[in-house]
Amino acid sequence: MPRDANDLLHGTLDLLVLKALSWEPMHGYGLSKWIEERTNDELEIADSALYKSLYRLDDAGAISSEWGVSENNRRAKYYSLTARGRQMLRSETATWKRYVAAVSGVLETA
Amino acid sequence: MWTFTSKLPRGVRRLFRLAHTPERALRDIDEEIRNHIELRVAELRARGMSEADAEREALRRFGDTEEFRAWSTRRALRRSRKYAVIEWFADLTQDIGFALRQFRKTPSFTAIAVLTLALGIGANTAIFSVVHHLLLEPLPYPNGNRIVTPMLEDDNGLRTSANRDLVLAWRERTHTIESFAAAVQVNFSIDAEGNVDMTPNARITSSFLPLLGVRPALGRGFTPEEEYPRAHVAMISYERWQREYGGRPDVLGKKVDLDLDTYTIVGVAPAGLAVPMSSNPAPEIWIPMSLDGVGTASSNVPSAFGLLRRDASADAASRELQTIAASLPETAQKRPHVSAMRAQDFLSTRETRSIQVLFAAVGGLLLIACANVANLLLARAAARRRELAVRVALGAGRWRLARQMLTESVLLALAGGILGIAVAWETLKIIVALRPPALEHLAVVRIDPAVLAWSAIISVATGIIFGCFPALVAGARKAVDVLRSETRTGSGGPASRRTRSVLIVVEIAMSLVLLVGAGLLVRSFVELQRMPLGYEPRGLVYTSTILGNRSVKAEVPAMRDAVIERLRSLPGVTGVAVGTLPGEGFTGRGLETEPDASGMPTRIEALSTVFMTPDYFQVAGMHLVAGRLPDPNAMTAEWKEQTLALSPEIVVNQELAKRLWPDGNAIGKRVRQSQGAEGTTPPAPPGMKPYNPWVTVVGVVNDTRMPTLHGDLRWLQVYSLAPPRFGVLPFLIRTQMHGPNVTGMMERAIASADRRIVVRPALSGDVYLRDSLAPTEFAMALLTAFAIIALVLAAVGLYGVIAYSVNQRTREIGVRVALGADPRAVMGLVLGSGIRLAVAGVVMGATAAAGATRVLRSMLYGVGPGDPWTFVVIGVVVGGVAILASWVPARLALRVEPVEALREL
Repeated sequence: MPRDANDLLHGTLDLLVLKALSWEPMHGYGLSKWIEERTNDELEIADSALYKSLYRLDDAGAISSEWGVSENNRRAKYYSLTARGRQMLRSETATWKRYVAAVSGVLETA
Repeated sequence: MWTFTSKLPRGVRRLFRLAHTPERALRDIDEEIRNHIELRVAELRARGMSEADAEREALRRFGDTEEFRAWSTRRALRRSRKYAVIEWFADLTQDIGFALRQFRKTPSFTAIAVLTLALGIGANTAIFSVVHHLLLEPLPYPNGNRIVTPMLEDDNGLRTSANRDLVLAWRERTHTIESFAAAVQVNFSIDAEGNVDMTPNARITSSFLPLLGVRPALGRGFTPEEEYPRAHVAMISYERWQREYGGRPDVLGKKVDLDLDTYTIVGVAPAGLAVPMSSNPAPEIWIPMSLDGVGTASSNVPSAFGLLRRDASADAASRELQTIAASLPETAQKRPHVSAMRAQDFLSTRETRSIQVLFAAVGGLLLIACANVANLLLARAAARRRELAVRVALGAGRWRLARQMLTESVLLALAGGILGIAVAWETLKIIVALRPPALEHLAVVRIDPAVLAWSAIISVATGIIFGCFPALVAGARKAVDVLRSETRTGSGGPASRRTRSVLIVVEIAMSLVLLVGAGLLVRSFVELQRMPLGYEPRGLVYTSTILGNRSVKAEVPAMRDAVIERLRSLPGVTGVAVGTLPGEGFTGRGLETEPDASGMPTRIEALSTVFMTPDYFQVAGMHLVAGRLPDPNAMTAEWKEQTLALSPEIVVNQELAKRLWPDGNAIGKRVRQSQGAEGTTPPAPPGMKPYNPWVTVVGVVNDTRMPTLHGDLRWLQVYSLAPPRFGVLPFLIRTQMHGPNVTGMMERAIASADRRIVVRPALSGDVYLRDSLAPTEFAMALLTAFAIIALVLAAVGLYGVIAYSVNQRTREIGVRVALGADPRAVMGLVLGSGIRLAVAGVVMGATAAAGATRVLRSMLYGVGPGDPWTFVVIGVVVGGVAILASWVPARLALRVEPVEALREL
């Protein structure tokens, strides 16, 4: 199915979130730290976009959330990957790799 | 790591009312984001930022908060809607499961409730299918509801089909009718040798099938070019195709003979096709004709049919056709009344009224069934108070409880509805068996999808109606109050008790209304059977015959004598005459007197003529009140050649004599067949000269009537000797034999006289009498049956209420007995409450019945709608049954053992 640019961007972020949560369940702030560390803050993703991605994935059943207690002793929502999310991560990763290969191919030859 | 989890077991969320409200979701998000910002600020400050800088930076990194808030709100709303649906279904599944468990626990309650409802819904469905078939969609064609036939009505209410000029004028100018078609039904034809072909056939215009909205089952219909001159093409009926051609498609192109002609079959009509609004047998062969009737050899007047425009009503069409007719010079001075009649308009007011009354009656029956089940549920709800209280205490909302109750009652009603369809099926069989001749087409009434939809709707509706009572009572109660007041045997609370009493009173009242209605019809029926008829139908058998066409005219006198000879020799036969039953005379020609002193003749159009032999009156059991019998020797040679002319001497009945000669002297006066308003001579049969001489009245005979509700309506009768060459002859015999074989015997005797004679099915006076009584009997039998069921249901309901209250008051009664109360006083206590309800119900019912029975007026004979005897008798019966229903449980109260009762404390 063809995608529009918006899908592509959301897809990228969702992929990062899925990847992060595949390591361990984490809350929203922990997730943003995780992505910042892994990408050396190159992407500088707005926190609101991150939360939207989380909620989107939650609605899609790719992740589930549970209330827990955070480092500062506050109630915080912890997100973890569901079986469906794991499957989505695999297929989306493959799609992403093909996509990158395709775009790179164009950029390098042109 | 975390202490409190949101993973709750199923149902707990609901139990604790942790609904998925959008507010809750948004609060959660707020908390999550606040926490996020705090963590971010803490981290930034740890890196050495100032508090203000850290907050600013954290907010910047979060992005557009406004946009995020709007997005989250939208999402929360979407989710809450989704969860609402999911929860609704989850609740429903839970309610149904719970209800089914309840039903299993109380099988007798469930069985009684379902059976009661099945009776109510079944009776309702059966009558609805009759209403649907006769009043709502009487024509089984796609355009059925838009088909009308324009009829002309004269001052005497006599209806005739419109003539061709009128139909053509209408077609030219109408704005309410989309298209016209015409059809002529022909029931038999006679060929040159005098052989009679009884194949019913019809001539139709090419527009006939499109007007009905049907297509040929095979091949094609007719084209306008085939109408005139008539092409020799034919359609055969589906049934004939199956019977004679085995349903093979090669029937197209085959030949079929009809009326000396041969036609090529070009199509097969759709199954069941008949001429609408005709009671004739369905035609087997269809041939073309033109709308103006040119080239139609048959003397039958075609029936015209119109297809109403979708936006036009039958009334509007009637008005328009009337206006057009009035504007035509040739019809203007006759000022006929035109009505565009739908099939249901052909039912008489009385037939329509019977159906409406029956429909109202089954409605009442259904309400009684509802009230009964509501009572059962209320009693059970009282017994379930503890369970309900516990559920309220655990957090079930009142709405949830009410909904649970409603689910249970709708489930009960649906079960009742399914069983009710079986009841309806059986009821319909009875209705069809009882159908009066006027409602002959009830024979094909069936339970179709529309009827099933109706029973589904009333099932759900009744479920909601009777479920409302316990649901309201359950919803209105506070858990704490219930738990606090809870004792081992609760009495159900005053509200519930009052509701049950009111329901019972209404039930008794309603069954009384139905019974009074039924009682009035029973009295009418009895009165009708006692009605003096003026002749003795029991022992008479009558049939009409066709002795042959013009070609055998010379032989007719001999054939007639042979028939009389055969009939006389039958065992048990005491009299034979030519003639119909008095009510079955030939209608169509009026009479006019010689001009009186003022120079004006008196004319009467609506009368019936019986062609007979002189011994007719004696055979029928009538007697002359003045004058003598017509003399056969007065026949003129010219008259002997005629077929439908009056004999030179005739007899009239008393009523006609009174109308024509109010001064009382009819004997010796002269009359002739009416010239009609426009002064034309009655059309002579083909090949004959017009013949209409003056004839003399020589006798006056007593009046006769039919045992119908219109018994007071005086018939106007002319009795004329049958011309010797009259080939369509009725025969009447009086026999001492009874039973169903007499008709067959008569038919066989006539047929054995000459093989060319066509004998119509014979009719015995007994059957004739029964058929005349049938419409009243039909309404009476059904209404009585429904009324008795209603009374039984009401009695069962009353019994239930009293028995329940005795059960609830066991302790009280025990104490009274232990303290030395007179057992009769105890019984009186219980009986008293039953009698109070019964009396209230009877009074209320009698008041309602006094108003309601007025609608029966047109169905009654010899008894008024307010007949005091009927009211008193029915009131006593209903009151008696009600008292009996409370006496049985009252006796139970006497058996209460004080010790037992007190131990329960």
